Amino acid sequence: MTKMIGQRAIASLLSLLGLMILVFFLSRLTGDPAVLFLPIDATEQMKQEFRALHGLDLPLFEQFTRYVWDLLQLDFGESLRKARPAIDVVLEAYAWTLPLALITMSIVVVLAIVLGSLAAFNVGGFFDRLVSIVSLVGASAPDFWIAIVAIVVFSIGLGWLPTSGVGTPWHWILPVAVLFIRPFGLVVQVVRGSMLSALGAPYVKTARAKGVKNLPLIFVHTLRNGMLPVITVIGDQAAAMLNGAVIVETIFGFPGIGKLMIDSILQRDFNVVLAAIMVTALAIFIMNILIDIAYGLLDPRIRH
Amino acid sequence: MSAPRSDAHGAAKLRWEVTLFLKPILVGALLASTAVAPALAQADTDITVVLSEELDLVDPCMATRSNIGRVILQNISETLTELDVRGNEGLKPRLAESWEDKGDGTWQFKLRDGVKFSDGTDFDANDVKHSFDRVFSDQVSCESKRYFADTTLSFNVVDDLTINIKAEPAQPVLPLLMTLVTIVPSETPMEFVRDPIGTGPYIMSEWTAGQQIVLDRRDDYWGEQPEVTKATYLFRSEPAVRAGMVAAGEADIAPQITAEVADNKATDFSYLNSETVYLRIDSQDAPTNDLRVRQALNAAIEREAFIGTVLPEGTELAVAMVPPTTLGWNPNLKPPAYDRDLARKLLEEAKADGVDTSLPIEIIARTENFPNVTEVAEALTQMLVEVGFNASLKMVEVAEHEQYYSKPYPESEGTRLVLAQHDNSRGDPVFSMFFKYASEGTQSGVNDPKVDDLIARASAATGDERAALWSEVMAYVHDDIVADVLLFHMVGLSRVSERLDFKPTTATNQQLQLSEIGFK
Repeated sequence: MTKMIGQRAIASLLSLLGLMILVFFLSRLTGDPAVLFLPIDATEQMKQEFRALHGLDLPLFEQFTRYVWDLLQLDFGESLRKARPAIDVVLEAYAWTLPLALITMSIVVVLAIVLGSLAAFNVGGFFDRLVSIVSLVGASAPDFWIAIVAIVVFSIGLGWLPTSGVGTPWHWILPVAVLFIRPFGLVVQVVRGSMLSALGAPYVKTARAKGVKNLPLIFVHTLRNGMLPVITVIGDQAAAMLNGAVIVETIFGFPGIGKLMIDSILQRDFNVVLAAIMVTALAIFIMNILIDIAYGLLDPRIRH
Repeated sequence: MSAPRSDAHGAAKLRWEVTLFLKPILVGALLASTAVAPALAQADTDITVVLSEELDLVDPCMATRSNIGRVILQNISETLTELDVRGNEGLKPRLAESWEDKGDGTWQFKLRDGVKFSDGTDFDANDVKHSFDRVFSDQVSCESKRYFADTTLSFNVVDDLTINIKAEPAQPVLPLLMTLVTIVPSETPMEFVRDPIGTGPYIMSEWTAGQQIVLDRRDDYWGEQPEVTKATYLFRSEPAVRAGMVAAGEADIAPQITAEVADNKATDFSYLNSETVYLRIDSQDAPTNDLRVRQALNAAIEREAFIGTVLPEGTELAVAMVPPTTLGWNPNLKPPAYDRDLARKLLEEAKADGVDTSLPIEIIARTENFPNVTEVAEALTQMLVEVGFNASLKMVEVAEHEQYYSKPYPESEGTRLVLAQHDNSRGDPVFSMFFKYASEGTQSGVNDPKVDDLIARASAATGDERAALWSEVMAYVHDDIVADVLLFHMVGLSRVSERLDFKPTTATNQQLQLSEIGFK
């Protein structure tokens, strides 16, 4: 297990390095930050001064070596737009996205496993059909539309919840609910399918014959074997949420990493883009390792 | 293989278990929902403003950038002079009480006595000098510098409350230019600050990045105390959410909403936002180097068809690069009549004289430039195709647009028409005409000695002569050389809570003076 994690970590580090090189040069290809930072009628002299001030007038290779040198000292540079260290900006945004993703995924995992398993157990029944329809709608519904409808109904119409922003626990309900829908739809379908085949296995019959009650049968005996494909999907969804909650963050004015990344790309705030990508990549690699560990814990065959 | 569904007893039991499991959750959720009351505890004179874009900086020298200006300008940081856009007072004193043209390009400003910065220090002439030094410093990318592109300023502090500013070349609108530079204390460093200190009626008491900015009223402000005691600024990029926040009572002012969500006459205001939309013609390229082709472009476009459909009601047809509130605006100019037959005839005539009218004409438009820009650009292209132009459309992103928009323009077969939006709320055409029409102008498609001469004379003139000369420039570029396809003066839409006594104006595009807001 330790060996596997070690190998994984080395592979991840190499990928991070490759990613950094790729993003650094690709971002430079997208255009000149001086054009975007300064107004459209800025003089050429102003643009030159801006480039000189931020080292953007240096040869590309020199910019890169400087960047790598600083990075080795954990210095991600300054945000052009915000005049602050890029890493601070990114970590601040992470401090919002991480709990958002964590809360949402916890609810997704618990509800999807419980409802998906029960649906599989009751296959073809009313509850199963209900879960299937709801999950299908959930997996295919556009978040943008759901978010706006949720605000119109629950905030403006009923006045139950704040429209957007952060501050109180109530502010989290709509973003979590909207963000929940799609992963829930996907995960519940995978749980249902996976549990369906697990429930058909001979050992389940044996357990049933021994008089094991329904709930222990599902959640104690069968669940563990049905979980492997589910964990992969949960991992994918969680990773997507770490950098892809853009729409939900944008609409609800949630100051998270997804929104920050899109804004920084549009504004050519290179240092923030790079810092955000590196931190996100790191987070995703860590998550992948956690998934590997979970795999190993669930299935002893994988440990070796 | 036996499927669990055959176990009828099991299924019934499961249903019961599910009910048992879900019931507490449902009941809990219902109870919770009735307990929710997102009431905002605030004083009656506190307001909340929801802006479309987060502030990345709060430095006073960036106040000409509209999202920063709406928070800072004249609230935290004040300028020497101020342009009245609500009434007809023109240029008004603010931190300068009076000013006088001393000749030879020098203006003398008499400063207000007894003014204190929010850090307790006194405001004097050295602060004015330092504020300008900072704007022109290459240590910091201050934005207001661009308005002084070709002008060198030198400062002479006469005494604490008198300063002489000399401009080379002489600037007849120097007092107007003073509306663009916010005054900071002389201790302010030559880098962006995160705690703006100013002489205005408010101080920034809180800035939580990504979330909110809070301004509190100052007790020791030199002028009249405004009614608003505290203003909280929130940032939401979705217009429907901004409008919804005012409707739900979470915010009082949403300065930019779209026509689609502006559906409440009691709270939604439309006003000219000082933006002008136009197609820039490059008169150096074929076939647009022929006057008849440029006239045909203008006659081919049915401008009225856009208003109330893809553009909001209230949008006006443009006859100049600047809105009608600008000095020297020419009331005699008429928008070109929509006449497809005339357009075809003009093209035929040009063709008969050897102009290759089949050369490609590419419209370059920028995504997100203004609401429905894609629809506008598509319709414009179609209208040109219908009269026989070989027109096509290319939608580009902002950085690519800039390559086509500013000189040197890239080579092309045929020509390009750049769809652009230009803002001038500053009261004088000097901020537009050189850039857009002079041979040396960075975004100009014109190369005409008469235009250059007129612009140079108008820029240097004062009073009635200045207004008359600007009028002449506008008429000449519009009627005689048909320099571009002027399209629309755009409107902005804002939603304002009914509890406020406040009507947004053109100025709302650049600033939001809290002292202008009252309560009903």
